[in-house]
Amino acid sequence: MEKLKINFKLNGKQIRVECEPAKTLLDLIRDDLGLKGVKRGCEIGECGACTVIMNGEIVNSCMVLAPQVEGSDITTIEGLTSDESLHPIQTAFMEKGAVQCGFCIPGMILSAKVLLDNKPSPSGSEIRTAIAGNLCRCTGYKQIVDAIKYAAQLMKNE
Amino acid sequence: MLPEFNLKRPLTLNEALSEYAAGSYKIIAGGTDMIVEMRKEKSIDFDILDISGIPKLKSIKKEGGKIIIGALSTFSDVFKNEIVQKEVPLLKEAVRNAGSLQIRNRGTIGGNICNASPAADSVPPLVALDAEVNLVSTKGQRTVKLDEFITRPYATNIKEGEILKSITFSPPVCTGYHFYKLGRREALAISRMNVAVMLNIKGGVIEDAVISPGSVMPFVGRVTEAEELLEGNKPSKELFEKAGLKVSGIMIKESGIRWSTEYKKPVIKEMVSRALNFAAGTEK
Repeated sequence: MEKLKINFKLNGKQIRVECEPAKTLLDLIRDDLGLKGVKRGCEIGECGACTVIMNGEIVNSCMVLAPQVEGSDITTIEGLTSDESLHPIQTAFMEKGAVQCGFCIPGMILSAKVLLDNKPSPSGSEIRTAIAGNLCRCTGYKQIVDAIKYAAQLMKNE
Repeated sequence: MLPEFNLKRPLTLNEALSEYAAGSYKIIAGGTDMIVEMRKEKSIDFDILDISGIPKLKSIKKEGGKIIIGALSTFSDVFKNEIVQKEVPLLKEAVRNAGSLQIRNRGTIGGNICNASPAADSVPPLVALDAEVNLVSTKGQRTVKLDEFITRPYATNIKEGEILKSITFSPPVCTGYHFYKLGRREALAISRMNVAVMLNIKGGVIEDAVISPGSVMPFVGRVTEAEELLEGNKPSKELFEKAGLKVSGIMIKESGIRWSTEYKKPVIKEMVSRALNFAAGTEK
Protein backbone atom coordinates (compact mmCIF):
# COMPACT_ATOMS: atom_id res chain seq x y z
CA MET A 1 0.00 0.00 0.00
CA GLU A 2 1.13 3.50 -0.78
CA LYS A 3 3.02 5.09 2.11
CA LEU A 4 2.14 8.62 3.11
CA LYS A 5 4.32 11.42 4.43
CA ILE A 6 3.02 12.88 7.65
CA ASN A 7 4.15 16.05 9.38
CA PHE A 8 3.12 16.74 12.93
CA LYS A 9 4.34 17.93 16.28
CA LEU A 10 5.07 15.25 18.86
CA ASN A 11 5.85 16.38 22.39
CA GLY A 12 6.88 19.81 21.17
CA LYS A 13 9.15 18.57 18.40
CA GLN A 14 8.23 18.89 14.73
CA ILE A 15 8.59 15.49 13.10
CA ARG A 16 8.18 14.02 9.66
CA VAL A 17 7.47 10.35 9.10
CA GLU A 18 6.46 8.07 6.32
CA CYS A 19 3.91 5.40 7.15
CA GLU A 20 1.28 3.04 5.78
CA PRO A 21 -2.22 4.50 5.91
CA ALA A 22 -3.52 1.45 7.79
CA LYS A 23 -1.55 2.43 10.88
CA THR A 24 -3.30 4.11 13.73
CA LEU A 25 -1.74 6.91 15.71
CA LEU A 26 -1.19 4.30 18.43
CA ASP A 27 0.76 2.01 16.06
CA LEU A 28 2.80 4.97 14.85
CA ILE A 29 3.74 6.29 18.28
CA ARG A 30 4.41 2.93 19.94
CA ASP A 31 5.86 0.79 17.18
CA ASP A 32 7.51 3.25 14.79
CA LEU A 33 8.52 6.02 17.17
CA GLY A 34 9.14 3.83 20.21
CA LEU A 35 7.23 5.82 22.81
CA LYS A 36 5.88 3.01 24.96
CA GLY A 37 4.04 5.22 27.45
CA VAL A 38 1.05 5.02 25.12
CA LYS A 39 -0.59 1.70 25.99
CA ARG A 40 -2.32 -0.71 23.63
CA GLY A 41 -5.49 -1.80 25.39
CA CYS A 42 -8.91 -2.71 23.98
CA GLU A 43 -8.37 -1.01 20.58
CA ILE A 44 -12.09 -0.30 20.32
CA GLY A 45 -12.21 2.98 22.20
CA GLU A 46 -13.47 1.69 25.51
CA CYS A 47 -10.49 1.56 27.88
CA GLY A 48 -8.67 4.84 27.31
CA ALA A 49 -5.21 3.30 27.88
CA CYS A 50 -4.06 4.72 24.53
CA THR A 51 -5.19 8.28 25.36
CA VAL A 52 -3.02 11.09 23.97
CA ILE A 53 -3.60 14.83 23.73
CA MET A 54 -4.35 16.00 20.17
CA ASN A 55 -4.58 19.77 19.67
CA GLY A 56 -5.47 20.28 23.33
CA GLU A 57 -8.12 17.55 23.49
CA ILE A 58 -7.86 13.96 24.64
CA VAL A 59 -8.40 11.27 22.01
CA ASN A 60 -8.07 7.50 21.83
CA SER A 61 -4.99 7.04 19.63
CA CYS A 62 -6.28 3.57 18.61
CA MET A 63 -9.13 5.31 16.77
CA VAL A 64 -7.15 7.93 14.89
CA LEU A 65 -5.53 6.95 11.60
CA ALA A 66 -1.90 8.06 11.49
CA PRO A 67 -2.44 10.23 8.35
CA GLN A 68 -5.20 12.07 10.20
CA VAL A 69 -2.66 13.72 12.52
CA GLU A 70 -1.15 15.77 9.68
CA GLY A 71 -0.47 19.24 11.06
CA SER A 72 -1.58 18.33 14.58
CA ASP A 73 0.05 18.83 17.94
CA ILE A 74 0.31 15.55 19.89
CA THR A 75 1.37 15.13 23.49
CA THR A 76 2.07 11.77 25.12
CA ILE A 77 3.01 11.05 28.72
CA GLU A 78 6.67 11.33 27.69
CA GLY A 79 6.09 14.96 26.72
CA LEU A 80 4.54 16.11 29.96
CA THR A 81 7.78 17.77 31.08
CA SER A 82 10.74 18.77 28.97
CA ASP A 83 13.36 17.31 31.31
CA GLU A 84 13.58 14.32 33.65
CA SER A 85 11.50 16.03 36.34
CA LEU A 86 7.98 14.94 37.19
CA HIS A 87 4.85 16.88 36.37
CA PRO A 88 2.83 17.82 39.50
CA ILE A 89 0.09 15.40 38.39
CA GLN A 90 2.66 12.57 38.35
CA THR A 91 3.90 13.59 41.80
CA ALA A 92 0.34 13.69 43.10
CA PHE A 93 -0.45 10.23 41.70
CA MET A 94 2.61 8.79 43.47
CA GLU A 95 2.00 10.54 46.77
CA LYS A 96 -1.67 9.61 46.88
CA GLY A 97 -1.08 5.96 46.01
CA ALA A 98 -3.12 6.28 42.83
CA VAL A 99 -0.92 3.86 40.88
CA GLN A 100 -1.17 0.11 41.21
CA CYS A 101 -0.44 -1.92 38.07
CA GLY A 102 0.11 1.35 36.19
CA PHE A 103 -1.31 0.36 32.82
CA CYS A 104 -4.06 2.98 32.79
CA ILE A 105 -1.93 5.71 34.34
CA PRO A 106 -0.44 7.46 31.27
CA GLY A 107 -3.91 7.91 29.80
CA MET A 108 -5.39 8.82 33.15
CA ILE A 109 -2.75 11.50 33.73
CA LEU A 110 -3.21 13.00 30.26
CA SER A 111 -6.98 13.18 30.81
CA ALA A 112 -6.29 14.86 34.16
CA LYS A 113 -3.90 17.30 32.50
CA VAL A 114 -6.43 18.53 29.95
CA LEU A 115 -9.01 18.86 32.71
CA LEU A 116 -6.68 20.90 34.94
CA ASP A 117 -5.44 23.04 32.04
CA ASN A 118 -9.04 24.08 31.39
CA LYS A 119 -10.35 23.98 34.94
CA PRO A 120 -7.77 24.62 37.64
CA SER A 121 -10.15 23.80 40.54
CA PRO A 122 -12.42 20.98 39.39
CA SER A 123 -15.13 19.45 41.59
CA GLY A 124 -15.19 15.72 42.34
CA SER A 125 -17.91 15.17 39.79
CA GLU A 126 -16.03 17.14 37.14
CA ILE A 127 -12.99 14.96 37.79
CA ARG A 128 -15.03 11.77 37.50
CA THR A 129 -16.57 12.97 34.24
CA ALA A 130 -13.13 13.90 32.86
CA ILE A 131 -11.73 10.41 33.50
CA ALA A 132 -14.91 8.51 32.56
CA GLY A 133 -13.18 7.33 29.38
CA ASN A 134 -10.22 5.84 31.25
CA LEU A 135 -10.75 2.45 32.84
CA CYS A 136 -8.78 1.41 35.90
CA ARG A 137 -9.31 -2.11 37.19
CA CYS A 138 -7.05 -1.83 40.26
CA THR A 139 -7.67 1.26 42.33
CA GLY A 140 -11.41 1.70 42.35
CA TYR A 141 -10.77 5.32 41.25
CA LYS A 142 -10.92 6.90 44.71
CA GLN A 143 -7.16 7.42 44.99
CA ILE A 144 -7.06 8.67 41.41
CA VAL A 145 -9.74 11.29 42.07
CA ASP A 146 -7.93 12.29 45.29
CA ALA A 147 -4.65 12.55 43.39
CA ILE A 148 -6.17 14.83 40.74
CA LYS A 149 -7.59 17.09 43.46
CA TYR A 150 -4.18 17.16 45.09
CA ALA A 151 -2.49 17.85 41.76
CA ALA A 152 -4.77 20.87 41.31
CA GLN A 153 -3.40 22.26 44.59
CA LEU A 154 0.21 21.52 43.63
CA MET A 155 -0.22 23.22 40.28
CA LYS A 156 -1.67 26.33 41.92
CA ASN A 157 1.29 26.54 44.31
CA GLU A 158 3.79 26.28 41.50
CA MET B 1 -2.68 -3.03 12.44
CA LEU B 2 -5.84 -2.57 10.48
CA PRO B 3 -6.46 -4.38 7.19
CA GLU B 4 -4.58 -2.70 4.34
CA PHE B 5 -6.03 0.15 2.30
CA ASN B 6 -4.96 3.22 0.38
CA LEU B 7 -5.94 6.57 1.77
CA LYS B 8 -6.64 9.94 0.21
CA ARG B 9 -6.92 13.06 2.30
CA PRO B 10 -8.57 15.88 0.34
CA LEU B 11 -8.51 19.34 1.90
CA THR B 12 -11.48 20.83 0.06
CA LEU B 13 -15.00 19.57 -0.50
CA ASN B 14 -14.70 19.78 -4.30
CA GLU B 15 -11.52 17.74 -4.26
CA ALA B 16 -13.25 15.18 -2.01
CA LEU B 17 -16.29 14.93 -4.28
CA SER B 18 -14.30 14.32 -7.46
CA GLU B 19 -12.03 11.80 -5.75
CA TYR B 20 -15.08 10.04 -4.28
CA ALA B 21 -16.77 9.85 -7.69
CA ALA B 22 -13.63 8.42 -9.28
CA GLY B 23 -12.65 5.66 -6.86
CA SER B 24 -13.99 2.91 -4.67
CA TYR B 25 -13.98 4.58 -1.30
CA LYS B 26 -15.56 4.55 2.08
CA ILE B 27 -15.53 7.82 3.94
CA ILE B 28 -13.88 8.28 7.29
CA ALA B 29 -14.35 11.33 9.50
CA GLY B 30 -13.85 10.90 13.26
CA GLY B 31 -13.30 7.17 12.83
CA THR B 32 -14.87 6.15 16.13
CA ASP B 33 -17.26 3.73 14.39
CA MET B 34 -15.32 3.06 11.16
CA ILE B 35 -12.06 1.99 12.78
CA VAL B 36 -13.82 -0.40 15.14
CA GLU B 37 -15.65 -1.95 12.18
CA MET B 38 -12.50 -2.19 10.03
CA ARG B 39 -10.60 -3.84 12.84
CA LYS B 40 -13.01 -6.79 12.70
CA GLU B 41 -11.99 -7.55 9.09
CA LYS B 42 -8.95 -9.43 7.76
CA SER B 43 -9.09 -7.54 4.50
CA ILE B 44 -11.26 -4.85 2.99
CA ASP B 45 -12.12 -4.21 -0.64
CA PHE B 46 -12.31 -0.45 -0.51
CA ASP B 47 -10.00 2.50 0.01
CA ILE B 48 -10.45 5.25 2.54
CA LEU B 49 -11.35 8.84 1.79
CA ASP B 50 -10.48 10.84 4.88
CA ILE B 51 -12.58 14.00 4.91
CA SER B 52 -11.51 15.07 8.41
CA GLY B 53 -9.13 17.68 6.99
CA ILE B 54 -11.82 19.78 5.29
CA PRO B 55 -12.22 22.81 7.57
CA LYS B 56 -15.34 24.08 5.78
CA LEU B 57 -17.39 21.15 7.07
CA LYS B 58 -16.63 21.86 10.70
CA SER B 59 -18.65 24.99 11.45
CA ILE B 60 -21.81 25.60 13.46
CA LYS B 61 -23.68 28.74 12.46
CA LYS B 62 -27.05 30.43 12.22
CA GLU B 63 -28.19 31.74 8.85
CA GLY B 64 -31.58 33.05 7.84
CA GLY B 65 -33.05 31.93 11.15
CA LYS B 66 -31.83 28.35 10.70
CA ILE B 67 -29.09 26.54 12.56
CA ILE B 68 -26.58 24.78 10.32
CA ILE B 69 -24.28 22.16 11.77
CA GLY B 70 -21.34 21.16 9.57
CA ALA B 71 -21.12 17.37 9.22
CA LEU B 72 -17.61 17.29 10.72
CA SER B 73 -18.64 19.01 13.94
CA THR B 74 -17.72 16.68 16.78
CA PHE B 75 -19.98 15.88 19.72
CA SER B 76 -17.70 18.15 21.78
CA ASP B 77 -18.01 20.98 19.24
CA VAL B 78 -21.80 20.74 19.47
CA PHE B 79 -21.79 20.50 23.25
CA LYS B 80 -19.56 23.57 23.64
CA ASN B 81 -21.22 25.69 20.95
CA GLU B 82 -22.96 28.84 22.19
CA ILE B 83 -25.77 28.78 19.62
CA VAL B 84 -26.59 25.18 20.56
CA GLN B 85 -26.40 25.89 24.28
CA LYS B 86 -28.69 28.90 23.99
CA GLU B 87 -31.17 27.82 21.36
CA VAL B 88 -31.18 24.00 21.34
CA PRO B 89 -30.36 22.78 24.85
CA LEU B 90 -32.09 19.48 23.98
CA LEU B 91 -29.31 18.70 21.51
CA LYS B 92 -26.66 19.75 24.00
CA GLU B 93 -28.10 17.37 26.61
CA ALA B 94 -28.26 14.53 24.09
CA VAL B 95 -24.60 14.77 23.10
CA ARG B 96 -23.38 15.29 26.66
CA ASN B 97 -23.10 11.59 27.47
CA ALA B 98 -22.37 10.06 24.09
CA GLY B 99 -19.39 7.71 24.49
CA SER B 100 -16.50 9.11 26.51
CA LEU B 101 -14.83 12.51 26.26
CA GLN B 102 -12.19 10.90 24.02
CA ILE B 103 -14.95 9.70 21.68
CA ARG B 104 -16.91 12.97 21.81
CA ASN B 105 -13.72 14.80 20.80
CA ARG B 106 -13.44 12.72 17.61
CA GLY B 107 -16.89 11.38 16.76
CA THR B 108 -18.80 13.64 14.37
CA ILE B 109 -22.51 14.37 14.01
CA GLY B 110 -22.29 13.57 10.29
CA GLY B 111 -20.71 10.21 11.07
CA ASN B 112 -23.30 9.47 13.72
CA ILE B 113 -26.07 10.08 11.16
CA CYS B 114 -24.45 8.23 8.24
CA ASN B 115 -23.57 5.20 10.37
CA ALA B 116 -27.30 5.14 11.20
CA SER B 117 -26.95 3.05 14.33
CA PRO B 118 -30.32 2.75 16.07
CA ALA B 119 -28.49 3.76 19.27
CA ALA B 120 -27.09 7.02 17.82
CA ASP B 121 -27.51 9.68 20.48
CA SER B 122 -27.71 12.65 18.12
CA VAL B 123 -30.46 11.23 15.91
CA PRO B 124 -33.59 11.32 18.14
CA PRO B 125 -33.10 14.98 19.13
CA LEU B 126 -32.36 15.97 15.52
CA VAL B 127 -35.49 14.12 14.36
CA ALA B 128 -37.41 15.89 17.12
CA LEU B 129 -36.10 19.17 15.69
CA ASP B 130 -37.34 18.18 12.22
CA ALA B 131 -33.77 18.38 10.91
CA GLU B 132 -32.83 18.05 7.27
CA VAL B 133 -29.57 16.71 5.89
CA ASN B 134 -27.80 18.45 3.03
CA LEU B 135 -26.05 16.10 0.62
CA VAL B 136 -23.64 17.04 -2.14
CA SER B 137 -22.05 15.19 -5.03
CA THR B 138 -20.34 16.15 -8.28
CA LYS B 139 -23.82 16.07 -9.83
CA GLY B 140 -25.41 18.56 -7.46
CA GLN B 141 -27.07 18.93 -4.11
CA ARG B 142 -30.19 17.66 -2.42
CA THR B 143 -31.86 18.08 0.92
CA VAL B 144 -33.68 15.25 2.67
CA LYS B 145 -35.54 15.08 5.96
CA LEU B 146 -33.46 13.16 8.48
CA ASP B 147 -36.28 10.72 9.31
CA GLU B 148 -36.49 9.84 5.62
CA PHE B 149 -32.71 9.73 5.16
CA ILE B 150 -32.24 6.92 7.68
CA THR B 151 -34.28 4.10 6.22
CA ARG B 152 -33.65 1.29 8.70
CA PRO B 153 -30.97 0.34 11.26
CA TYR B 154 -27.50 0.98 9.73
CA ALA B 155 -28.95 2.06 6.37
CA THR B 156 -29.55 5.42 4.72
CA ASN B 157 -30.68 6.42 1.25
CA ILE B 158 -27.38 8.17 0.54
CA LYS B 159 -26.52 7.81 -3.15
CA GLU B 160 -23.23 6.87 -4.74
CA GLY B 161 -20.81 9.75 -4.67
CA GLU B 162 -22.78 11.78 -2.15
CA ILE B 163 -21.23 13.33 0.94
CA LEU B 164 -23.23 14.62 3.88
CA LYS B 165 -22.30 18.28 4.13
CA SER B 166 -24.47 19.66 6.92
CA ILE B 167 -27.57 19.33 9.03
CA THR B 168 -30.13 22.16 9.17
CA PHE B 169 -33.05 22.88 11.46
CA SER B 170 -34.99 25.79 12.92
CA PRO B 171 -34.55 26.59 16.60
CA PRO B 172 -37.48 24.92 18.38
CA VAL B 173 -40.38 26.72 19.98
CA CYS B 174 -40.88 24.87 23.24
CA THR B 175 -41.31 25.54 26.93
CA GLY B 176 -39.60 22.34 28.02
CA TYR B 177 -37.52 19.44 26.71
CA HIS B 178 -35.78 16.33 27.93
CA PHE B 179 -33.40 13.69 26.61
CA TYR B 180 -33.62 10.43 28.47
CA LYS B 181 -30.80 7.96 27.87
CA LEU B 182 -30.77 4.49 29.27
CA GLY B 183 -27.44 2.68 29.07
CA ARG B 184 -26.02 -0.34 30.82
CA ARG B 185 -23.91 1.94 32.99
CA GLU B 186 -23.31 5.63 33.59
CA ALA B 187 -20.00 6.17 31.75
CA LEU B 188 -19.21 5.24 28.17
CA ALA B 189 -22.51 3.53 27.56
CA ILE B 190 -24.12 2.91 24.21
CA SER B 191 -27.80 3.77 24.47
CA ARG B 192 -29.94 0.73 25.16
CA MET B 193 -32.91 3.01 24.51
CA ASN B 194 -33.28 6.75 24.46
CA VAL B 195 -35.97 9.31 23.85
CA ALA B 196 -36.03 13.03 23.08
CA VAL B 197 -39.16 14.98 23.96
CA MET B 198 -40.23 18.60 23.61
CA LEU B 199 -43.36 20.26 24.92
CA ASN B 200 -44.81 23.66 24.19
CA ILE B 201 -47.24 24.54 26.97
CA LYS B 202 -49.32 27.71 26.69
CA GLY B 203 -51.92 28.85 29.20
CA GLY B 204 -51.68 25.50 31.00
CA VAL B 205 -52.42 23.52 27.83
CA ILE B 206 -50.02 21.46 25.71
CA GLU B 207 -50.00 23.11 22.29
CA ASP B 208 -47.30 21.00 20.68
CA ALA B 209 -45.67 17.77 21.73
CA VAL B 210 -42.75 15.95 20.16
CA ILE B 211 -41.74 12.41 21.09
CA SER B 212 -38.74 10.95 19.25
CA PRO B 213 -37.38 7.64 20.56
CA GLY B 214 -34.16 5.87 19.62
CA SER B 215 -33.40 2.13 19.59
CA VAL B 216 -37.09 1.45 20.08
CA MET B 217 -38.68 1.35 16.62
CA PRO B 218 -37.33 -0.28 13.44
CA PHE B 219 -37.17 3.23 11.93
CA VAL B 220 -36.35 6.69 13.18
CA GLY B 221 -39.20 9.11 13.55
CA ARG B 222 -41.65 10.74 15.86
CA VAL B 223 -44.52 8.88 17.47
CA THR B 224 -47.34 11.11 16.27
CA GLU B 225 -50.12 8.98 17.78
CA ALA B 226 -48.68 9.59 21.25
CA GLU B 227 -48.07 13.26 20.50
CA GLU B 228 -51.71 13.74 19.45
CA LEU B 229 -52.82 12.22 22.71
CA LEU B 230 -51.08 15.07 24.53
CA GLU B 231 -51.93 18.04 22.35
CA GLY B 232 -54.84 20.18 23.56
CA ASN B 233 -54.71 18.68 27.04
CA LYS B 234 -53.46 19.86 30.39
CA PRO B 235 -50.14 18.34 31.45
CA SER B 236 -50.49 15.74 34.21
CA LYS B 237 -48.70 12.64 35.38
CA GLU B 238 -51.67 10.49 34.32
CA LEU B 239 -51.68 11.95 30.82
CA PHE B 240 -47.93 11.39 30.44
CA GLU B 241 -48.33 7.81 31.57
CA LYS B 242 -50.94 7.29 28.87
CA ALA B 243 -48.53 8.72 26.29
CA GLY B 244 -45.82 6.35 27.54
CA LEU B 245 -48.19 3.42 27.24
CA LYS B 246 -49.05 4.49 23.71
CA VAL B 247 -45.38 4.57 22.67
CA SER B 248 -44.88 1.16 24.25
CA GLY B 249 -47.88 -0.24 22.36
CA ILE B 250 -46.68 1.19 19.06
CA MET B 251 -43.21 -0.26 19.66
CA ILE B 252 -44.72 -3.74 19.92
CA LYS B 253 -46.90 -3.15 16.86
CA GLU B 254 -43.90 -2.00 14.78
CA SER B 255 -41.13 -4.23 16.08
CA GLY B 256 -43.10 -7.35 17.01
CA ILE B 257 -42.45 -9.46 20.09
CA ARG B 258 -38.72 -9.98 20.53
CA TRP B 259 -36.51 -11.46 23.23
CA SER B 260 -36.12 -7.98 24.69
CA THR B 261 -39.80 -7.00 24.59
CA GLU B 262 -40.62 -8.09 28.12
CA TYR B 263 -37.98 -5.64 29.32
CA LYS B 264 -38.46 -2.85 26.84
CA LYS B 265 -42.26 -2.69 27.08
CA PRO B 266 -42.56 -1.33 30.64
CA VAL B 267 -39.25 0.53 30.48
CA ILE B 268 -39.99 2.63 27.38
CA LYS B 269 -43.37 3.50 28.85
CA GLU B 270 -41.68 4.74 32.02
CA MET B 271 -38.91 6.56 30.11
CA VAL B 272 -41.37 8.48 27.93
CA SER B 273 -43.56 9.31 30.87
CA ARG B 274 -40.61 10.54 32.96
CA ALA B 275 -39.13 12.54 30.08
CA LEU B 276 -42.49 14.27 29.57
CA ASN B 277 -42.77 15.00 33.28
CA PHE B 278 -39.29 16.55 33.24
CA ALA B 279 -40.17 18.59 30.16
CA ALA B 280 -43.40 19.84 31.74
CA GLY B 281 -41.77 20.50 35.09
CA THR B 282 -44.15 18.09 36.85
CA GLU B 283 -41.10 16.11 37.98
CA LYS B 284 -37.66 17.38 38.85
